[in-house]
Amino acid sequence: MAQWGMVIDLDKCIGCQACSIACKSENNVPYGSPDEQKRRTDIFWHKVIAVSKGEYPTANIEIIPMPCMHCDSPPCVTVCPAKATYKREDGIVMQNLRRCIGCKYCLVACPYGARSFNYKEQEEEEYQRPDLPADLGLDNKADIGPWPFPHRTHGVVEKCTFCFHRIDQGIEEGKEIGVEVVPACVEACPSGARFFGDLSDPESAVSKLLASRDSFKLREDMSTKPKVSYLPR
Amino acid sequence: MSRRTFLGISAGAAAAVTASYAIKWPQIGSAPTPEDYEEGVLAEKRVATSCLNCPTRCAVNVRVVNGKAVRIVGNPKSTYSEGKACPRSHVGLQVLYNPERFTKKPLKRKEGVPKGREAGPKSLESLKESFAEIEWSEALGEISEKLREISAPDKLLLLQGLNSTSNEDLIRRFAKAYKTPHLLSEEALEVAADNKGKQMADGRDNGGYDLGNANYILAFSANIVESERPLARNLRMWGKIRRERPNRAKVVVLDPRYSVTAAKADEWVPIKPCTEGILAMAIAHEIIKEDLYDKDFVNDTWTSGFAEYKALALDEFSPDTVAARADVPAAVIRRIAKEFAQSKPAIAWSGTGATSWPYGANASHAIFLLNALVGSIDAKGGIVYQDPPQYKDMPDVPGTDPEVLSLRAAEGEISSAEAVIGFNSNLVMCVPETSTWDAFLAALPYYVHIGPSWNEMARYADIVLPACTYLEEWAYETSLPGSGLAEVRIKQPVVERIGDSKPVAEILFELANRFNADHEVRKAFQGIGDSPEGFVKERTKSLTNLSWDDFTQNGVWRQEDHKDYTYRKYDQLFQTERFRFRDKAFLGKVYNIEFKGNSSEDALTLITYHPVLDMRSGNQNYPWAQEIFLVMHGYGWDNFAEINTQTADNLRIKDGDKVWVESDVDRIKAKARVFEGIRPGVVAIACGQGHYACGEWADGIGVNPNRIMILNYDEESGQPCFFNTRVKVYKA
Repeated sequence: MAQWGMVIDLDKCIGCQACSIACKSENNVPYGSPDEQKRRTDIFWHKVIAVSKGEYPTANIEIIPMPCMHCDSPPCVTVCPAKATYKREDGIVMQNLRRCIGCKYCLVACPYGARSFNYKEQEEEEYQRPDLPADLGLDNKADIGPWPFPHRTHGVVEKCTFCFHRIDQGIEEGKEIGVEVVPACVEACPSGARFFGDLSDPESAVSKLLASRDSFKLREDMSTKPKVSYLPR
Repeated sequence: MSRRTFLGISAGAAAAVTASYAIKWPQIGSAPTPEDYEEGVLAEKRVATSCLNCPTRCAVNVRVVNGKAVRIVGNPKSTYSEGKACPRSHVGLQVLYNPERFTKKPLKRKEGVPKGREAGPKSLESLKESFAEIEWSEALGEISEKLREISAPDKLLLLQGLNSTSNEDLIRRFAKAYKTPHLLSEEALEVAADNKGKQMADGRDNGGYDLGNANYILAFSANIVESERPLARNLRMWGKIRRERPNRAKVVVLDPRYSVTAAKADEWVPIKPCTEGILAMAIAHEIIKEDLYDKDFVNDTWTSGFAEYKALALDEFSPDTVAARADVPAAVIRRIAKEFAQSKPAIAWSGTGATSWPYGANASHAIFLLNALVGSIDAKGGIVYQDPPQYKDMPDVPGTDPEVLSLRAAEGEISSAEAVIGFNSNLVMCVPETSTWDAFLAALPYYVHIGPSWNEMARYADIVLPACTYLEEWAYETSLPGSGLAEVRIKQPVVERIGDSKPVAEILFELANRFNADHEVRKAFQGIGDSPEGFVKERTKSLTNLSWDDFTQNGVWRQEDHKDYTYRKYDQLFQTERFRFRDKAFLGKVYNIEFKGNSSEDALTLITYHPVLDMRSGNQNYPWAQEIFLVMHGYGWDNFAEINTQTADNLRIKDGDKVWVESDVDRIKAKARVFEGIRPGVVAIACGQGHYACGEWADGIGVNPNRIMILNYDEESGQPCFFNTRVKVYKA
């Protein structure tokens, strides 16, 4: 079984955040508001963070794109009392929104802040995404098709899925995953800093990239064994 | 919260579908297939069109499901930015479905409602109430009558915000036929001085940087990966110069602010504001002194004025003299100069920050000359020149082509204008000293605002015409100079028009038809296709081997398919007029660094920048762009007064404090951001916020730094200065 993983080249990344917006757009992740930002309740499946070090004039701000790390030993799965979050055979850590009871244990357990709790009320206007068609998916099941998440559930935890819908569909259609089919953030990256593929296949582009350059993972000391690696400058 | 609520089956409207959909939820982890939706008809298509959220205008593909645009991605057929698009392109969906679109009929200002920010209605709601709906025919009738009535054609002023290339062509044609020379392009507001300075050297306006092939990039306050044009291409090429070739290019950024480009560069040299010009001259000094300049280009055959330039650089711009003024050690200047000259091909890139002060064109010229010194003119990995695509000529219109006004010239014209038409304009937000322009605009006898959604300019309008967004109209776009070979992109409607809006081109055609049969405007719009679609079809007919079907299907036409770029064709470029090194009278002025306003010891220099998610279309009512607005601070829905820790200590300001930033003309209240990524003595504020008539996701958020900037101009080009104001910052 393939083990999907991602490699992000921080030398090529230019912090434009196309990945973050592409993710919102692909997965219909609700946008936030100033108020939600203040309360830190806005939902992001992917975020770009800035870490600053040093003092002027040798200041250094590292810009790091953060999807879910899809850990091989995911602490979120261990703590989930409802078995709502689980690791698929191909390594993707999924969240079953139907099973989730909204206890937020996983939110606390995740060392990467990759998870968001959906505080949005079902009735909230922006929850329905006015920028998207109002009638989408509400009375016509056909509209749901192209979207994995046309509308969401209040009170559950959400997270990045490595765009599993693309991968699964790609496999069904016999396409080459990592080349022809990639997650939305990888597809959108204008500088070509993101790579996706099978970590268990030594011939895959991601494996070769990892073999050719120095790389690191975030918070390796936590023994979570992330499947997202970063290539430093 | 009940269990029913978090199962999501309590909300009335969603109940039915959630239930049916929910049954399928346990299979999350497998992709939905069309068979799952057999009950409905799934109509999905991909439409090739192009973006218009900044002047780069990338080719994009829009995915349309059941008549609704749901996703925008780069068009792989476009080689200009290799099928990629920048983050702004995705936000196009929110531009299209912006709830503050003018979706109904044209609007007419009600009698007696005052115009402007000071006197007019304060909130967007009350602004909306100050207009009444009228029919299209009535609105166009009134405008055409006004155009017949005004005392002289040159009393008509046209304001051009961000428009498609074809709409620009039509607007220019309208102006020429109407015989008004007064056309102000907001797109040129920030680059006029830069273009002028370059043009004074090479005599052209079609040069671009061949970033992907360069080995050494010296960025003079150029935010190459944040705001410099052509952005998406820059982003793509950045990936290329870093890790997609055997040799990794070196990037050095000279900038008072630690920009994203500086963060991603190999070296950040914090310089004093407006010293880019003298630094360029000091680098030239070193290159010439060490005899490192390229004699294949710098010789009497292709260049003129080098002897005087050489003497000037050697006599007056030694690194030791410049070091103190720019606050860069002389040794660093010498090292950079040597690296720059010895790591060919090299690019010296002049950014908006380097050229937005009274001698900006001079600084741009000084920086551009460095490219000549190292042989980067018309060279691979240097400056390349893009020929315009051969659009089919339109029937000639008698008269002279309207010049594009500088803002300085517009300031002279605007008070005598009898009628003004704004095409996607948001002038009042993007010029310095907002209060001055507010007064000018409020005093206009007649202003017609044409645009897709509510913005600040609607406050001055007598008539508002609801225009389509770029995703609902026909147009063609020419790529900005960059690869050297032009690319033409189509714009075609991806969805049905929202509300009763019309494309800008259609409005112009209809207006022209309301003139008398023998009027030049009427004649000018005949025989050019008769409709927006027809116009695009007609104009692109002459592009080599392009069928209309291919164009609508692929979305792009590429010059590179039909010819290769020839480098170093100096005999063509500099045959009649040689490349010019200007003399002391011009270049010497880069020493005249002086600032407007508060001259006290503790005053700070105000600089601004455009984050990548500052939508260059003049509207910011887009949550996707707003919530991640400032990547360097990991913050959105705001902008900051960014100051250095040391400066903040002196001023007793702490991170997060509310501060007043005050100049001689106005003051604004912003949140202070104290950090290490900026020079002491400087305050930086991001542009793009401070809206007050765009909608709930933009209004009242952040501040507009242009409000407090003091209006003055670049001497040569008349471009407003954005980096020239001294301000006081104090705790609110």
